[in-house]
Amino acid sequence: MKQLKHDTWVKPYMTKYKGLLALILVLGLVTFICGGALMFTSGYLISKAATKPENILLIYVPVVLVRAFGIGRPVFRYIERLTSHNWVLKVTSDLRKRLYQTLAKDAAFFQQHFKTGDILGILADDLGHLQNLYLRTIFPTLISWLLYVIIVIALGLFNWFFALAIALLLAIIIFILPLVSVAVLGARVERHKQLQQELYTDMTDDVLGLSDWVVSGRQADFLARPQPTLKAARQNTVTTRHFEWRRDFLIQLIFGVVVVVLMIWTNQQFTTNQSLANWIAAFVLCLFPLVDAFAPVSQGVEEWPLYMSSVARLNHLQPVTRELPTQQTLSQPVAMIDFQQIDFKYAPELPQILQHFNLHIAAGEKVAILGPSGTGKTTLLDLLLGELEPQAGQVTINQVPIAALQQQRAQLIGMLDQKPFLFNTTVLNNIRLGNLAASDEAIMAALQAVELGPLMQRLPAGANTVVEEAGARFSGGEQQRLALARILIQDAPIILLDEPTVGLDPITEKALLNTIFNVLADKTVIWVTHHLQGVEHADQVIFLEHGQIVMQGSPHELYRTNERFRKLYQLDQGL
Amino acid sequence: MIDKRLLRLPGTKKVLLMLAGLTILQAFMILFQGKYLAQAIVNSWRLKALAWQYQAMLFFFLALLGRHLLNWLKSHVLDRYASKASAALRQQLLTKLFHLGPSLVAKQGTGNMVTMALEGTDQVENYMTLILNKMLNMMIIPWILLIYIFTLDARSGWTLLIVVPIVILFMIILGFAARDKADKQYAGYQQLANHFVDALRGLATLKLLGISDKYADNVYQVSESYRKQTMGVLRIAVLSTFALDFFTTLSIAVVAVFLGLALLNGQMALFPALATLILAPEFFLPLRDFSSDYHATLDGKNAMQAMFTILELPQPQQRQLLTAAPTWTADSQLDFTNVNVSYPGSNEADLADVSFSVRGYRKIGVIGESGSGKSTLINTLGGFLQPQQGDIRVNGQSVPHLSQEQWQQNFVYLPQKPYLFHATIADNIAFYQPEATAAAIERAATKAGLHEWLATLPDGLATLIGEGARGVSGGQGQRIALARAFLDSQRRILLLDEPTAHLDIETEVALKETMTPLFADHLVFFATHRLHWMQQMDYVFVIQHGRLVEQGTPAELQAQNGAYVALMAQMRGETL
Repeated sequence: MKQLKHDTWVKPYMTKYKGLLALILVLGLVTFICGGALMFTSGYLISKAATKPENILLIYVPVVLVRAFGIGRPVFRYIERLTSHNWVLKVTSDLRKRLYQTLAKDAAFFQQHFKTGDILGILADDLGHLQNLYLRTIFPTLISWLLYVIIVIALGLFNWFFALAIALLLAIIIFILPLVSVAVLGARVERHKQLQQELYTDMTDDVLGLSDWVVSGRQADFLARPQPTLKAARQNTVTTRHFEWRRDFLIQLIFGVVVVVLMIWTNQQFTTNQSLANWIAAFVLCLFPLVDAFAPVSQGVEEWPLYMSSVARLNHLQPVTRELPTQQTLSQPVAMIDFQQIDFKYAPELPQILQHFNLHIAAGEKVAILGPSGTGKTTLLDLLLGELEPQAGQVTINQVPIAALQQQRAQLIGMLDQKPFLFNTTVLNNIRLGNLAASDEAIMAALQAVELGPLMQRLPAGANTVVEEAGARFSGGEQQRLALARILIQDAPIILLDEPTVGLDPITEKALLNTIFNVLADKTVIWVTHHLQGVEHADQVIFLEHGQIVMQGSPHELYRTNERFRKLYQLDQGL
Repeated sequence: MIDKRLLRLPGTKKVLLMLAGLTILQAFMILFQGKYLAQAIVNSWRLKALAWQYQAMLFFFLALLGRHLLNWLKSHVLDRYASKASAALRQQLLTKLFHLGPSLVAKQGTGNMVTMALEGTDQVENYMTLILNKMLNMMIIPWILLIYIFTLDARSGWTLLIVVPIVILFMIILGFAARDKADKQYAGYQQLANHFVDALRGLATLKLLGISDKYADNVYQVSESYRKQTMGVLRIAVLSTFALDFFTTLSIAVVAVFLGLALLNGQMALFPALATLILAPEFFLPLRDFSSDYHATLDGKNAMQAMFTILELPQPQQRQLLTAAPTWTADSQLDFTNVNVSYPGSNEADLADVSFSVRGYRKIGVIGESGSGKSTLINTLGGFLQPQQGDIRVNGQSVPHLSQEQWQQNFVYLPQKPYLFHATIADNIAFYQPEATAAAIERAATKAGLHEWLATLPDGLATLIGEGARGVSGGQGQRIALARAFLDSQRRILLLDEPTAHLDIETEVALKETMTPLFADHLVFFATHRLHWMQQMDYVFVIQHGRLVEQGTPAELQAQNGAYVALMAQMRGETL
């Protein structure tokens, strides 16, 4: 309940489409009322018929009503299900857009992206949980409450004392037991999630580490490893189920008592004459279809803690927005990029990544950045993008700080990283993302330039072929080429390359680097690389170590003058 | 409706028998519940005093109690059976996994296997619980009730009986219609369904391309067209529930009207009419229950089929055949003659006609273009793949494959990215030798060059790594795997499958310094693209398109000026 107090992810949407929401509740209510009324009129009908009334017209009304309710129930139920799904999906569209915008606004997101890809899946799942929250908990509970009120008032018209007794009995089912369920099972739901996580870790260990298990010959250990967690999970499930069975039994028992009370009351109330007695069957029988409205409430509410952790996670999403200085626009073409006296660390307690770092890059230069992992090669690129802000110093393009160029950034800088992202749409659409106004001809020309022309001809639908999830249709080298075509379409003067060839074999790597530097000939290129293959494409090579430049110069010059460079280069060449 | 293999699982028949007994009992409880309820109402209707009702009310209540007690009991029985049976299946699956090894995982996908072992088993358990119970309910309860209804009023009995096939027919027709519609839209539908996660994952790219703001509207529009398509499918899918609902409710209404007319004509008394009316909904209840969980059972059924498919795969036999090589020594010999290997499910040989013999502590570099078959050779040497043809001899003893327990005790395997278990660094190092002493582990860690890094960790060797714990860089991961080899001096063969492909050049150089001393008294198979390692090799295999096209010492191959020289030149590129 606490989570809902300052909630902005559930409540606002309940009022946004309140007309439809009210319709869903009414339809749900009418469905159950039809079900009850069918048995009610049927009970009355046959009781009345059993008195053999002279005039057949006397049972004509109940006969018509029986048929009407018999048809009404399924029809209303059908409409209710469609309306509620439609409502939920409508809200989902809103929620998706909102989640997307929230994340897009978040300045910290870009940094975390590579580290925690999982969190995105979790957040997307949270929206799925919200759908179930509506369909399985909120709607059925509200409908049962409305029905409850109607029943109690209706009975109250006959006998207040009796209505109170029924009210109390039903209250156990729709108020007390759900609350008890949450209180008892809440902790177990958490525990279940935690055990599932542990199991997932164990199983991943088993599957991903399988070759090591096989080589180790430890079959017994392999099989025994997940057992304690499995046992604990089973124990947790068993106790949960035992509670549920007991509770469901209790619910049915209470219904039994309600029926008995109803029989006693009708016996007292309606036995003064025969025409009154015809109502007895009606009242008793109409209760049975209503069980379906009340019994599942506990089950729905039981999942509340699960949903609430989703709601809490969404409500916790507080985008870190950054204060940007007044934005400027470069009127002249890019002439130079400068890193001026940069000091940078990720957090006060973490080590210094860059210290008094200076670098001047002229337009059209190709700069290769090398250095052991963790020395801040990628950090340099993020600083240049303006995604990170240095503690001291600044990065400028044409002497304008990069922070003041964020609105123009996509026109200035393009980037190709280790695993470029391809969207699950056609090749054409993927490349058009670089420039939404690009013509098909321009895109085809870019595909030719990155040497994908022949591949496009082989594809079933040419450039209209869907790339499949994360570009799965294409090999690593081909994916990089597609992303490169996207960058060509984007046509920014500065291109950042973040180890684009990692994981490719040397022959593919060489060919890709040739293409990259061929098509980017007139651009400024800053290339972070993990080894020296293709380093001859660079005009300037920089070796980073401990936040400083320890080697700098053209590759030919370094090869001649620098012992360390020569040694590494020869290793890379296998000489 | 039900997978025959489920019935063959141990314990299923016994449980079915027990459940059938309980269900028959339950059917009678339902019958009595209706009968005594009708009795009590009829008594009231006859204007009798409350005292006349006690007996009927008591019996009604007892029957209701019994009915739900039996439910409880059935849940217990089923739950115990299903959890045991599904746990046994999971255990079989894991055993199978161990025997088939990484080639199975490569084919099925890691995520797929993990999901199958976890969610899959849960779904199977759920399926067993649902299907057995609901099927028996459907097979027993309605028919016992129907017989009783026939004794009360034959016309009502016929009405109910006729509705059953109609309902089933409609559900089948509508089910097919829904599936057709869903099938037609499937491709586009999947794409729409995944579009949102896709957009989130691609957000960084969209930001770089400067269109992240504009894309929000796209997210909304795609979600809306997804909604419209879903509603289109739902309209038909929900129709089958509607049909069930419609015909059952309507038939109850028809029965009520028939009963009313029969009563009016004096053809029957109130009690049988009322009992019939009360039992009519109970007659349909099992059918409704069955259809309401249809999708859950479908998932479970599919999960179970997937599991059985894997369990029925053939697994390597004769794994204890090899006795001739307890440890690899300077005089040991391995011979391959015309060996053909293909991955499971692949039609062509991924390795064809491979012949070689190696003796003692040779250092063999395996080179070739990517996809040429280097990994296939390493996997065959590790016993993870079994050859279809050819002769393999270890110290002269012929074996059908190298998935020999004794052979696997002889080597250490270092892949591109060694897997680190969710355990301490010490446990990871001692993975092949869990009984190793702390001192020995420490020594191995130092030899593998881990000491500097360990010194920076507050918990040292006891630091927890792996999934969800402390991250380990690529170079350190390789060193941990290397420490396993230093720890276990019995394992004298090293199988290296591009262990440095992901490392930057300086990390690789540092690792090389640690690694080369280990080569000294080991047989080494080293598959790599990184040419400088050839200087540490005394023999080279050149693999092209699955064939071992050249082998010899580097000097011999250099002199031959063949595939080796061409490949080296191609990989090297232009030099400065």
